[in-house]
Amino acid sequence: MNLRPPTPEFAEGASTWPGDLDRREFLRMMAASAALAGATGCARPARGLAPFVAQPAGPLPGTKVYFATAMLQEGFGRGILVESHEGRPTKIEGNPEHSESLGATDAITQAAILGLYDPDRSVAPLRGAELAAWTDFEEAWIARAALLSPRSGSGLALLTEPTTSPTLLRGIGRLLEKFPEAIWCQHTPLARYDLDGSQEDLAPGAASVIFSIGSDFLCSHPAALRYAREFTASRRQPAGAPSTPRLYALESSWSLTGSMADERLARSPERIRRLLDALSELFASGVLSGAGRSNPAAAQNGLELAETQFVEALARELTGSGTRALVVAGPEQPDEIRRWARAMNGRLGADGHTLRYVAPVRSDRAKGCRGDLGTFLDALASGKITDAVILGTNPGYTAGARQRAELARGLSSAAFSLHVGAYADESAALCQWHLPESHFLECWSDALGYDGSALIQQPLIEPMHLTRSAAEIIGFLATAEARPSLEWVRETWSARMPAHDFDDRWRGWLNRGVIDPFPASEPVSRRPADSLSKLAGHAPETDASDSNSFTLLFRADPHLADGRWANNGWLQELPQPFTSLVWDQALLISPEDASRIGLSDGSVVVVEVESRSLRIPVWSVPGHAGGCAVLFLGGGRSRAGSVGTGRGADAYYLRTPAAAWESARATVRPTGEIKELTSTQHHFRMEGRSPVRVVYGDAGIRANPSTDSPARAASLYPEWPGSRPAWGMSIDLASCLGCSACVIACQAENNTPVVGPEQVARGREMHWIRIDRYFEEISGRTVALSQPVPCMHCENAPCELVCPVGATVHSQEGLNEMVYNRCVGTRYCSNNCPYKVRRFNFFDFRTPSGSPLHLQENPDVTVRARGVMEKCSYCVQRIEEVRIVAEREKRPIGRGEIRTACQQACPAEAIVFGDISDPQSLVSQRKRMPGDYALLGELNTRPRTTYLPKVFRPAHVLTLAASPV
Amino acid sequence: MNRASFLSPAEPLIDPSITPAAVTDQISGIILRPPRPRLWLAGFAASFALMMVLLAGITWLFIRGVGIWGINVPIAWGFAIINFVWWIGIGHAGTFISAILFLLHQKWRTSINRFTEAMTLFAVACAGIYPLLHLGRPIYFYWLVPYPDTMGLWPQFRSPLVWDVFAVSTYATVSLVFWYVGLLPDLATMRDKARGLAARRAYGLLSLGWRNDGRHWAHYERLYVILAGLATPLVVSVHSIVGLDFAVAILPGWHSTVFPPYFVGGAIFSGFAMVMTLVIPLRAFFRLESLITARHLELMALVILATGWVVAYGYFSEFFTAWWNADEYDRFVGANRALGPYAPWFWLMLTCNILVPQLFWSRRMRRSLPVLFTAAILVNVGMWLERFVIVVTSLHRDFLPSAWGMYVPTFWDWATYAGTFGLFLSLLFLFVRVLPAIAMSEMRGLAAEAGRAR
Repeated sequence: MNLRPPTPEFAEGASTWPGDLDRREFLRMMAASAALAGATGCARPARGLAPFVAQPAGPLPGTKVYFATAMLQEGFGRGILVESHEGRPTKIEGNPEHSESLGATDAITQAAILGLYDPDRSVAPLRGAELAAWTDFEEAWIARAALLSPRSGSGLALLTEPTTSPTLLRGIGRLLEKFPEAIWCQHTPLARYDLDGSQEDLAPGAASVIFSIGSDFLCSHPAALRYAREFTASRRQPAGAPSTPRLYALESSWSLTGSMADERLARSPERIRRLLDALSELFASGVLSGAGRSNPAAAQNGLELAETQFVEALARELTGSGTRALVVAGPEQPDEIRRWARAMNGRLGADGHTLRYVAPVRSDRAKGCRGDLGTFLDALASGKITDAVILGTNPGYTAGARQRAELARGLSSAAFSLHVGAYADESAALCQWHLPESHFLECWSDALGYDGSALIQQPLIEPMHLTRSAAEIIGFLATAEARPSLEWVRETWSARMPAHDFDDRWRGWLNRGVIDPFPASEPVSRRPADSLSKLAGHAPETDASDSNSFTLLFRADPHLADGRWANNGWLQELPQPFTSLVWDQALLISPEDASRIGLSDGSVVVVEVESRSLRIPVWSVPGHAGGCAVLFLGGGRSRAGSVGTGRGADAYYLRTPAAAWESARATVRPTGEIKELTSTQHHFRMEGRSPVRVVYGDAGIRANPSTDSPARAASLYPEWPGSRPAWGMSIDLASCLGCSACVIACQAENNTPVVGPEQVARGREMHWIRIDRYFEEISGRTVALSQPVPCMHCENAPCELVCPVGATVHSQEGLNEMVYNRCVGTRYCSNNCPYKVRRFNFFDFRTPSGSPLHLQENPDVTVRARGVMEKCSYCVQRIEEVRIVAEREKRPIGRGEIRTACQQACPAEAIVFGDISDPQSLVSQRKRMPGDYALLGELNTRPRTTYLPKVFRPAHVLTLAASPV
Repeated sequence: MNRASFLSPAEPLIDPSITPAAVTDQISGIILRPPRPRLWLAGFAASFALMMVLLAGITWLFIRGVGIWGINVPIAWGFAIINFVWWIGIGHAGTFISAILFLLHQKWRTSINRFTEAMTLFAVACAGIYPLLHLGRPIYFYWLVPYPDTMGLWPQFRSPLVWDVFAVSTYATVSLVFWYVGLLPDLATMRDKARGLAARRAYGLLSLGWRNDGRHWAHYERLYVILAGLATPLVVSVHSIVGLDFAVAILPGWHSTVFPPYFVGGAIFSGFAMVMTLVIPLRAFFRLESLITARHLELMALVILATGWVVAYGYFSEFFTAWWNADEYDRFVGANRALGPYAPWFWLMLTCNILVPQLFWSRRMRRSLPVLFTAAILVNVGMWLERFVIVVTSLHRDFLPSAWGMYVPTFWDWATYAGTFGLFLSLLFLFVRVLPAIAMSEMRGLAAEAGRAR
């Protein structure tokens, strides 16, 4: 940040002794000092923030309290519970009461708590590069408003993000009422979920076959947590249950949804269109009733054998499933493909069964909105705009190269320009004024979930800096009155849901976080056309003559999204799916393309699109479609903060509004340079060792020899006496999506440090749970496997045997405990751990003292010092917390009462923790399921954490079963 | 090949013309009338400078932590452990020569035992600092020592690292006592010959009132035999336990019952190589060819040849066991050593440790100083590589492919390693300057014997 140091507290020379001080002067000064010393300092006026709305007792020191609130991602709200220790929010959990969370969270939600304490946050208004007071701004705006009012706001342009917040939208409405001639535009660099005036809401749990076209609806979607929960729950049904959905995926690059697919084809976007056309033809020709395996219609299309098989199997299953089929096209897909998917759903009769169309929840097409960033820029360029306001969005970074230049030009010629955001970012640098926006845990607001459910966002803490909420700021712009956001929010809801007992209901909503009852979004009666239009002609063909020609696909970064999370160290250090890259971004290509052009992982290339070029290292991913390359948005920021600035490559530079997600005719040229990319995993093949066991079809599950895990081989040392409870964990690889929510949940819970790219490159990342990724070729197809690996809490723990000082010991209840105080740091335990889950503090990785990031730390977990080994503790602090409560209440610990942080975050319910001595506990039930296995069980370590195998239910189970796995 | 043609004809272990008095004069003369003092000073200064590098390395280590080295997860042990095992292996030659060869009445040990014992002590000193430095929290090193503390905490006796503490500290103590007891008559000689009052006092104090009395000699010789008897099992135990540091782990490439004997063989192998490396220049520098003869060097070359085969057997046994037990992880470690990313180091190790010693089948090679010196250095390099291969290639690719990694030593790894050479050489330079580098009393005995034979 380019902040000047704040204005000094004392006037210049105040601390130096004046040379010509006489006695009278001296006495006068002393008297004044004494008088002032008695006066109290200035404080911000109390605003009556009382988050303990429904708490019976006051704050208890040492006791944590949860508050329900909401967090917005891409404008959609998700209910969260925030853990607070003596007024200090430390951890975010999902709100089980909210239908879009169901108690789960994703990685970004988990990491959002870190942003609250980010030292790089914008702390006060800025005029140019100078710190200013809010009153300065207020005066400036009142002066501008006085000029704008007579001409009914003509010349005012407002750019916001699309949002669902009723209060914010009401504020914008008020602004537009006051300035009817003002232009309101909305800009998001990310996906639009509405199409033709409706958005689709899926019910993946109700489907028996799902066809995903480049969609990641299980992991990156505003409703992904709900979809993932439904999908995995229906997949976990006992073998032979009627509805275990088979997932087909047709995509160009890996999505986590694609890695869950039973049948997956990776094809370039052009080829995907051909395949969809072939599917249309199969439907049109009506040959689907016949059971013939090879179809003349498909053969004529010039499809490969694998493609023909895929298309035919899919067509058969879709028609066979009828209303229980579901076709999903990703929101990044071109509109014609999304319409094709809608038409297909219509044809199959899935509409109303596995999906429904509802009115768009987000404000993309709200009344009064004039358009997108393009409209805003056109207005700026026309010279009619004198006052530009950018609220909560960062077009200075997220716009394409040309638009950025237009924006800079337009804003520099405007008489008044204002940027509102949490960071003094790229857009703030272009504006005269920057106002700091409060973190969502600091202010009142509201939001709607993707399904239309309504949430109240309540603060957990007073604003840490001189910040205001977006609603407050927009309210001030509209009314020139600085009203607190609580009033705005209450006003919105008392108008919307009037009731005589509004105060009671309000308290109830705050308690639960959810506004209930609230009418869910209404279905749209207008049904989309069900004609399957031809797709192949739409796509511009790549230049086949040039071997360096690629179709470039833009995708949101899996962790940084559009770049707004770039300054979050947890997310930067979170290994990316399929590559395990951290702190950097790469152009993803297929290994075949890489070897064709002569590139290895880390080779720097120049990607050129319409004479704009970008230097970026490549990374080849098995199972990636040939002929296309994936570029992630969100990198290469110039003003993200001390953590995020300059990480990755600025993909927006190559992006144009016309080709926002897909750009044909990109060229990729090697430079001969190599950049060392930092990855937490260096080997992605299982080497025939099967750490992830894979079974095919329900028959495969039954045929799998049951529970070979607790191989009770002989041991030199006596058995541990059986105890109750006996803690254990089961991880279901068939459910695990590989989304990494557990990794960040663990990091937030257990005060795990961020070590930085240099240390990760040297193999010193500190995550207590990691997601191992493997690629395997099975019957000519590439599958991607994800495996969360925490400490296994072995009953015969190799680490315990070799520690010379007894710093790692076994508890009565089967925990493998780490005694930090006793650890001298020989690291022998890590060498002897076959799972390599132990982490060592090679340096002092603690947050430097004085950093506000300390406030995030969980007071129940020791912060580890330099030279000490650490590892997953099964969240022993949570166990002890529940134990204390149970003992005080003189009762045994309840079944499922303790949940580890990873388990709590998991949207797929893949991780289950509990008492394995209780046969009725969920973890015992999971461990009794067929196929339960211990990782490296042959070593007789007797791990307490066991796995359920990855299950694929491919259509061609017979051919697969015959082939060696 | 008959025995006569293989071994050199029995030649005297000492120049037969030399008298006992001449022996004393020549050896004490090194201290009393130091030859080439400037060269000595230059050598000492260089070693001392290198020792300061060690000091810098340790200082920086204590300031920043063990992260300054190249270690990581999965390769949590690196140069510190490699160098520890290497130095302690070198330290084996001294006690082997002094104790075992003494008990076996190998008289040729006489010319080199003092020097090699000193070398042992200094090597153990170099080795001993590594386990302390490598700790994440070195200030708590004493927690590995059993002492009655207020919280009733004891070391965890199942861990071989605790056994190591006993083994190494016992070895260091016994070696020191053995060396010092052997020095007593010579210290008395120095007391009598020294010119300055301070030197006389110092030597006098250290010689514990030795008066060359018959009873002194009777006690001395009895004690010496007892100490030799005590030291003998330690030669075997120390490196056996260092071997167990690895063998107790379940890590493929470490978990092997052959480790203790193979480590002991390797230790004597590297120890003799180091003795050779040091004795050849020493003998030339102080013109001691009449006392440390070509016969001595040849006999040491034969020990190197023999122990080289012990080491070769160890390598073979590891590969054989991996193949024979059909454990996929063991097999993989073998294949990965030979073909993986560290394969060049592995093949260089085999060359140095197995091929190079085979030169010593030839008598001409055994008597060629350049060959002996070069081969000895190569064996030292090879044995260092052996520890590198054991520590790093086993750890870097173990059970789960997802956790595989690479180890790249950093500047501070190398600096600390080089620094221990500084410590070692500084101590050696001081040693040859203030204490008789060859046991005068024993050599006088040899000379007298040779005189009688004459």
